[in-house]
Amino acid sequence: MSSSLASQPLATRASQFYRLTKPRVVSLIVFTAVIGMFLATPGMVPLQALVAGTLGIALTAGAAAAVNCLVEQGIDAIMTRTRGRPLPRGQVTSLQTLVFAGIVGGAGLFILYQWVNALTMWLTLATFVGYAVIYTVVLKPMTPQNIVIGGASGAMPPVLGWTAVTGEIAADALLLFLIIFAWTPPHFWALALYRKHEYAKAGVPMLPVTHGDKFTRLHVLLYTVILTAVTLMPFVTRMSGVIYLAAVLLLDAVFLWYAVRIYVAYSDPLAQRTFRYSILYLTLLFAALLVDHYFRIPL
Amino acid sequence: MSLYRPLVLCSVALTFLVIVVGAYVRLEDAGLGCPDWPGCYGQLIGVPDEAHELAKAEQAFPGKTVDAGRAWKEMFHRYLAGTLGLLVLAIAAIAWRMRGETGRTPWLATLLVAVVAFQATLGMWTVTMLLKPAIVTLHLLGGMATLAVLMWLALREINPQPAPAAIARAFRPWAAAGLAVLAVQIALGGWVSANYAALACTDFPSCHGQWLPGMDFANAFHAVRELGVTAAGAPLSQEALNAIQWSHRAGALVTLAFLGALALCALRTPSLRAAGAVLLVLLVAQVGLGIANVLLRVPLALAAAHNAGAALLLAALVVLNFTVFRRANRQD
Repeated sequence: MSSSLASQPLATRASQFYRLTKPRVVSLIVFTAVIGMFLATPGMVPLQALVAGTLGIALTAGAAAAVNCLVEQGIDAIMTRTRGRPLPRGQVTSLQTLVFAGIVGGAGLFILYQWVNALTMWLTLATFVGYAVIYTVVLKPMTPQNIVIGGASGAMPPVLGWTAVTGEIAADALLLFLIIFAWTPPHFWALALYRKHEYAKAGVPMLPVTHGDKFTRLHVLLYTVILTAVTLMPFVTRMSGVIYLAAVLLLDAVFLWYAVRIYVAYSDPLAQRTFRYSILYLTLLFAALLVDHYFRIPL
Repeated sequence: MSLYRPLVLCSVALTFLVIVVGAYVRLEDAGLGCPDWPGCYGQLIGVPDEAHELAKAEQAFPGKTVDAGRAWKEMFHRYLAGTLGLLVLAIAAIAWRMRGETGRTPWLATLLVAVVAFQATLGMWTVTMLLKPAIVTLHLLGGMATLAVLMWLALREINPQPAPAAIARAFRPWAAAGLAVLAVQIALGGWVSANYAALACTDFPSCHGQWLPGMDFANAFHAVRELGVTAAGAPLSQEALNAIQWSHRAGALVTLAFLGALALCALRTPSLRAAGAVLLVLLVAQVGLGIANVLLRVPLALAAAHNAGAALLLAALVVLNFTVFRRANRQD
C-alpha cells in the first residue's frame, strides 16, 4: 500500500492523517485544557505555558485518537458512523498510523517536557496510556462500565492545563476533573442508546447492549443528577462565583429535562438531541467558569 | 449572605404561589391538561396551539384532544415549580458555601432539595398515574413540607425574638404536636379533594341529615387504589365518600380544639401574643371557609382560598414553633 502514499496529492494525504486525530473530539479536549490553564492563575497565563502546553496536549491527544482508530479499525468498519474513517477505507495503513501516532505523540510529549514541565508531561503520558491502551484495548471490549472508568482519561485535560501553569495538582483542578468524569456517562450513553444496534453488531458491550435500554436510561438520569450536584461544587468551594452558579443552574436544568425525557419518553431523535446538548453543555459550562474567573460579582 | 436572604424570602413567596396555583390547577380539572411530563405533548416551551404543533401532538398522543387552556394552566404550575426548584438548588449551594461563616448547618437546605426533587417526581406520577389519590395527596403534603422547611430557613434569616426559656419549654411539646395535628388534617383535606369527596354531603354540620351517615372506611382509606374506584376496581360507593368527608370534618373539630387552645394560650403569653393572634384568626377563617365550601358547593375561589388558608395556618404554626424551639438550637 506504500505506493498509495506517493500516488495521492499531498493535501489529500494530510487530510487523511488529520482525520485520524479526531479533530472535533480533540478540540473539545483542548478547549477544556486551555480553560484549566486560565483558571489556574488569577491573571494572564504565561505565554510559553499557554502555547507550548496547548500544542503539547493537542498533539498527544491527537496521537491517542490515532491509536484508538488503529485498534478499533475492525469495529469502525462495522459501524456506519465510523465506516468512513481513513483506516477502514484503506486510505492509510496500520503501520503508517502507528508511525504517525508515534511521531505526533512523541513531539507532543517532548514539547511538554522541554517547554512546560515534567509533571505535565508525565500526566499527559498517563492520560495517553489511559485512553489509547487501558480504555481502548482493555475496558471497551470488556465491560459496560468502559466509558465510566475510561472517562477518567477524558476528564484529565483541565488538570493537564492547570499543571502546565502551576506545576502542581490543585484541588480545584480535581474538581474540574470530577465534572467531566460525571458528565461522560450521560453524554456517552445518550449516544450509545441510539447507536445500540451498531454497537451490538460490532460486539462492543455498551450498557444498552448488555443491560438494556430501560436500565441505561435510568443511569443517564441518575448520572445527570450526580452531575448537577458535582457542578454546584465549584461555587460551594468558592472557586467560582454567582455568574457560574446562575449559568450552571440553567445548564443543569436543561440537561435534567433531557435526562428525564430520555427516561420517561425515549426516542432516538431525542437521544441525538441529548447527545448534542451534552457537548454544548460542557462547552458553555467551561466558558462560564472562565467568564466567572475574570468577572466576579460579590455574593 | 446578601444574596441568600432575598433568595430564601422569594422562595417562600413562590412556594405559597406554587401551592395555590397547584390547587387551582386541580380544581379546574387541568391536572391532566398535559398527558406527559415534564413537557406538554412533548413541548418544553408553551403548549401546542399552532396548527402544525397540534397535528404533531395529536399524532404523538392518539385519542387525546389538546385543550390549550387547560394545558397552559398545568404548564404554568410546572414553570413556577421548576423555577422554585432552581432557587432551592441555589439556596442549598449558598448554604454549603457559607457554612463556615454563618455556623449554620447546610443540611436543612439539602433536605429541602430532596423534598423538592421528590415533589417533582410526585408531580410526574400525578400525571402518569392518572391522578391516583395517594399520589395527589402526597404531592399536596410535599408542597406543604417545602413551605414549612423554607419558612424555617427564612426565620433563621429574619431572626425573630426567641421566647423566654421557661415559656419556650412549656410550649414546645404542644407546638410540635400542633404541627402533627395540622399535618394529619391537611392530609385528610387533600384526601377529600383527591377523591372528589368535597360534595359527598352538602348539608352541615350533619351529613345526609345524620350525625353518623353510612360510612365505608375500609375502601375510603385504602391508600393504593385508582381514582374513583376501590382497590378491587369497583366504583367507590357513596358510603366511602361519606367516610372521607366525615373524617375531614371530625379532623377539623380536633384541629380547631387543639390549635384553638394552643392559640389562646399563646395569646395570654406576652412574647407569643402576635403568633397566637394570627393563628387564631387563620383558624377561624379556615373553618369558616371549609363550611362555606360545603354549603356553597365548592366555588372555585373559596376552594382555592381553603387551600391557601391551610398553607397560611401551617406557616403561622411554623413561626410559633420556631419561636419556642429557637433557643435550644442556639445553645447547641
